[in-house]
Amino acid sequence: MDRERPSLAGFLLVAPALAMVGALFLYPLGYSLSAAFTGPDGRPTLAHFGKAFELYSGDILFTIFIVVVSTAATAAVAIAIAGILVLGRPGRAVALLGWLYRFPLFIPFIVAGQCMRTFLAKNGLMNNSLVALGLIDPGQGASLLDWRGIVITFVWKQVPFVTLLLAGAMAALDRATIDAARNLGAGRVRTLFDVVLPQVMPNLTVALTLSFVTMLSVLSVPMMVAGSQPTMLTVDMAFRINAYGDYATANALGVLSYAMTAAAAFLYLRHGLRTGVLR
Amino acid sequence: MPQQGTAVAIEGLEVGYGRTPVLDGIDLAIEPGSFVALLGASGCGKTTLLRSIAGFIEPRAGRILIGGRDVTGTGPERRGTAMMFQSYALWPHMSVARNIGYGLKLRGWPRADIARRVDEILALVEMSGFGGRSVTTLSGGQRQRVALGRALAVHPPVLLLDEPLSNLDAKIRLTMRHEIRALQRRIGFTAIHVTHDQEEAMVMADRLVILEAGRIVQDGRPEDVYRRPNSPTVASFLGADNVIEAEARRDGTDLVLILAGGIRARIAGTPSVEGPCLLHFRANAVTLAAREGRGDCLAIPGRIEQSSYPGGRYRYQVGTPVGRFFVDDAYRLDDGATVTIAIPAPSLHVFARPLPGVPATRAA
Repeated sequence: MDRERPSLAGFLLVAPALAMVGALFLYPLGYSLSAAFTGPDGRPTLAHFGKAFELYSGDILFTIFIVVVSTAATAAVAIAIAGILVLGRPGRAVALLGWLYRFPLFIPFIVAGQCMRTFLAKNGLMNNSLVALGLIDPGQGASLLDWRGIVITFVWKQVPFVTLLLAGAMAALDRATIDAARNLGAGRVRTLFDVVLPQVMPNLTVALTLSFVTMLSVLSVPMMVAGSQPTMLTVDMAFRINAYGDYATANALGVLSYAMTAAAAFLYLRHGLRTGVLR
Repeated sequence: MPQQGTAVAIEGLEVGYGRTPVLDGIDLAIEPGSFVALLGASGCGKTTLLRSIAGFIEPRAGRILIGGRDVTGTGPERRGTAMMFQSYALWPHMSVARNIGYGLKLRGWPRADIARRVDEILALVEMSGFGGRSVTTLSGGQRQRVALGRALAVHPPVLLLDEPLSNLDAKIRLTMRHEIRALQRRIGFTAIHVTHDQEEAMVMADRLVILEAGRIVQDGRPEDVYRRPNSPTVASFLGADNVIEAEARRDGTDLVLILAGGIRARIAGTPSVEGPCLLHFRANAVTLAAREGRGDCLAIPGRIEQSSYPGGRYRYQVGTPVGRFFVDDAYRLDDGATVTIAIPAPSLHVFARPLPGVPATRAA
């Protein structure tokens, strides 16, 4: 078959976009990658990684822990909300939920962090409300401004995004596949896990992978909600650069973040290939 | 293993979406083991009625009883019915065997028993050897067989069919009709079949229930409903869609029909309609003659305007002084030929012509 040769005009058309990607993404990425492996004398070295592990091995584990727990919790809450929206008895409560759950989508991470700071503090809104309701004694309220605060903020912020993709995919399913399961004797929860969720698994995996990467790169939330040690790698990177001008260690930490993202991407791709979504 | 289906009873059922009423007081008693077709034009409420029986729609008023048990407030998962859908509704993430076995898994059957029953069902729907296949690799006909197997696997006392054959191509549709009917006779479950296809309903069911605007307008054996439709809409829906306006006058025991253009006919033994009326007849219930027809039939002179050959018999469009009609005939006639449409009295469905605001009914 006579194939058309790639034309110069076509290349010129995509050239500006290519140049943008190259200048603003590929070059800095390559630069920071190579800087992470280059010593002050210009020779290749693993010294920056040695330093990063020496100073921040606790934070590396803390970051993985936070992001994995947040992703799991986000999945659980998003599945519950999307399940109620699609399988729940239609009514005012479900309509209200359908409207309300999107709300955090429009709030930036930094504002979410600020809100959570005042909400979760020892004398914050949550504890004051619990005291006012007589559920706890005034002295009993504990501050949640540590890893729990970060997880709560991440979940609160990411649930709408994952739910949006998930509920959309569920609503697009052939409704009859749901009716068929109910008809044969499956309750709502059983239908959700046996019939609905397996059909939207690719969408859930995409949403969770994107969510995982987003949470890994947020600086404001760990900084505002849980300022002290241990903290997440984003805070450490900012600290190395701002306090010491130590780009080398910051780059090494950055490479570790890439590695975590790559692991998430690998799991996603493997799942995709196995289920045939990407074939 | 033959089993007895259960009775389904619907009492004063009313269903509405928002303010629009969809079912307006349905009463229907279905005997155990019978095959009932709910027939009607789209929007008549037949699917809503079926989905109400399945439990997917909550009625505003009325009761639904399955096997004597009031299930009006019961969720679809506890009604014990099985359903077949127009879109097959197979679960794409499960194999053929897992689709068929799912209902049994829900009922807590041991794995070995499920496997045995699935093999039995695969043989029943002539899909042996397909158990391990993904349902997404099957053809439409095969998918609907799996859906039938999935429904029958749980020994349902009532099988609900929501236009399951309308997505299949013509040949497979004809085969599936007879297979479902044969299985229903053999196993003995009660079947309720929603369709807009008159022929499908007549072939499969032993009772036709015709709905119009949320009400049952006629209910009976297929032959009876076909031969004696009780309203112009039922007549048109069942193929008697050639309509003539006429004036009826009683003369002793005979009925004299007066049509436009001075056409008259005297018919014996027809219902006592007086005044303005509508005459419905089927294209295949008449003959075309080159000359005046015999007695006890309505003869209308006309000219052939168009002809076609759909197979078997020729189909003619005939222009007459009282309108344009479709007529089937065994013989080839040329366009422009002068003919007489002879409609035998038993094939003529006579209804009083509705006055504005008054629904048409067949005069008793």
